[in-house]
Amino acid sequence: MTVSRLAAQHGIRAGMRAASAQLLAPELILQTRDLMRENIARDAVALALLQYTPEVTIADADTLLMDVSASLSAFGGRRHLCHRVIGSVQALGFSLRLGMAPVAQASWLFAHQAGRVRRVIRIESMRRRLDALPVELLTTAERYQSWLTGIGCSTLADLRRLPRAGLKRRTDPALQDQLDRAYGEAPELFEWIQAPESFAAFLEFAYPTEQAEQLLLAAQRLVVQMTGWLVARQRAVSALVLTLDYERRRSRLASTDIEITLAEPAWQEAHLLRLMKERLNQLVLKAPVNILRLKAKQLAAFAPPTAQLFPEPGGTPADYRRLLELLMARLGPEAIRLPAPASDHRPEVANQWQISGQAQQKILTDTGTRFAERPFWLLEQPLALTLRGHRPFYGSALHLLSGPERIEAGWWDGDLAMRDYFVAQGEEGAYYWIYRERDIDQARWFLHGLFA
Amino acid sequence: MSTLPLTASAGGMPSLSLPSDIAHSVWRAGQMAAAGVSVTSSGWPALDKELPNQGWPHRGLTELLIRQTGIGEMRLLQPALRRVAGRIALLQPPHAPQVAAWIDWGLAPERLLWIRTQRHADLLWSAEQILRNGSCGALLLWQGALRNEAIRRLQLAAQASDVVCWLLRPLSLADVPSPVSLRLALQPKGQGLQIDVLKRRGPPCATPLLLPWSLLHGDRSFFTDELQHALLDRRLPATPAASIAAPALV
Repeated sequence: MTVSRLAAQHGIRAGMRAASAQLLAPELILQTRDLMRENIARDAVALALLQYTPEVTIADADTLLMDVSASLSAFGGRRHLCHRVIGSVQALGFSLRLGMAPVAQASWLFAHQAGRVRRVIRIESMRRRLDALPVELLTTAERYQSWLTGIGCSTLADLRRLPRAGLKRRTDPALQDQLDRAYGEAPELFEWIQAPESFAAFLEFAYPTEQAEQLLLAAQRLVVQMTGWLVARQRAVSALVLTLDYERRRSRLASTDIEITLAEPAWQEAHLLRLMKERLNQLVLKAPVNILRLKAKQLAAFAPPTAQLFPEPGGTPADYRRLLELLMARLGPEAIRLPAPASDHRPEVANQWQISGQAQQKILTDTGTRFAERPFWLLEQPLALTLRGHRPFYGSALHLLSGPERIEAGWWDGDLAMRDYFVAQGEEGAYYWIYRERDIDQARWFLHGLFA
Repeated sequence: MSTLPLTASAGGMPSLSLPSDIAHSVWRAGQMAAAGVSVTSSGWPALDKELPNQGWPHRGLTELLIRQTGIGEMRLLQPALRRVAGRIALLQPPHAPQVAAWIDWGLAPERLLWIRTQRHADLLWSAEQILRNGSCGALLLWQGALRNEAIRRLQLAAQASDVVCWLLRPLSLADVPSPVSLRLALQPKGQGLQIDVLKRRGPPCATPLLLPWSLLHGDRSFFTDELQHALLDRRLPATPAASIAAPALV
């Protein structure tokens, strides 16, 4: 049916017999056309393009029509929009020819014309360009090709010069209709595609892979589709699942699920991809991956961006949440801690840090009582100090500066602390927070904090 | 090739007279850098005087070499942390930061972010992400063993962002060259914290700076009133009553 550019260089043409093509290029790879896969691919592209306009329709087997008249200013003009559309389709791993015109039928013709693709925005220039197009481009003219050539009618301009009534009688009325639609003289009606209720897409690898980059590239294709779907349905995703199906022939391994939960619902392709990249880089594959699936698990309403006249100095709160998500994706949730001080006299109990990602509890800024000075660093395990000359010793003999501050708490939860805290200074001048146990005979000294 | 005219000055030394439009962006080693760089005042007037542009630089790393943890490094940075807008990320601190102390300083606890990493590569990656994201106001990074390439990379990331970034490393690395443009050594000395400016965009700093403890630790009674007694021997608090009572019974 069709040949790649490399094959064409070897002299292979469409319509050739397989045997003669093999003769020209022995390393030729013959692929049978898979209509189902083509349809899946076309649907994927349509879904991805929904992020630019809600009005996308399938024109025929390999053409999609989009009405972007309302999207031009939102995406910064037609040039910018074209670049973004091409970028999205290329991210899906396909190439495209993009025609643009004020009329859908005309843009279809521009996209299908040989040579340079036209993008026009004014109706006059569109008609001028259309005049030069060959008649063969019209799908309805196919049957009358030889007749039209016979009467010397080769371009659309020639066709339009023919008397309307005669043309209608001698050919299919659809031909005249198509011509009128292309010139914007007849109305066009489309049934825009509807985004499905839920999102689940998959991608099958031609060859099973175990490389993170390839997986990421495939994940990107799925994410582009999801972005289109999210925008079309005005939703944002807050949890998504990436499933890796392993090759079946060799092993019967259960597939691996990567669940990504977001602190703030997002729809931005770049952010979702960065999170996936960190997760995929950590993953150890059990076997080559055959199929990659992406599913939007939890959705939230799409919050419009809050536009502000001046950019906020420290970045937006959304930036900060995105940073936390990114750090969590690589380091794990335990690595990131936020203060959650508790109301307790025991310093190790009061100094609570909560793992990020948990629901942020209200932080007690005022514990009511004002304690004596607290050191900035708190040792996670109090360090037992030796005594030298009846003095606690840490690097050097410590001098007590102030205290005691008596802390006796925790009898209710079995973690009784009976301590006298002192501020001490070492020979070299640093300040320490030390305590002495009070409840036992052989009381020991402990270092519990450093005044940084 | 050169468009800069070389003119002989009175002393016979050739000096470059620069066109006025670029003169401000040329820094000569003999003078303190004073470009239009945004800085955050350190809050210590004596220290500000020794820092280029009178404060901690926003774009670029600052290396603090400390003798040991807990010699007043956080108190030194506290006025600057108070001035910085946004969150403060503590990356791999040596001990747990105590929120009560932070609240005591009058700072909002929700501004703190404590990050612990397992691997060295993760640490550098996190630092770079924080710098690149720019939603934090300051980054404090504790790491001794860093290769110069890693520091250079951090330095570049810091230069591209508006985050005030301090790198805290042990004092033993003072002799090891580092690509960081501002390096300070901190060590306790007698009555205060001694600050040596090891490297800066400016003339070498000959005399170290001494921040007295009383100034550094604020108006807390135990640091000011009792400082005079600090060097005197102080009796330990009374030993448990039981051991004293026993001889009396005999």
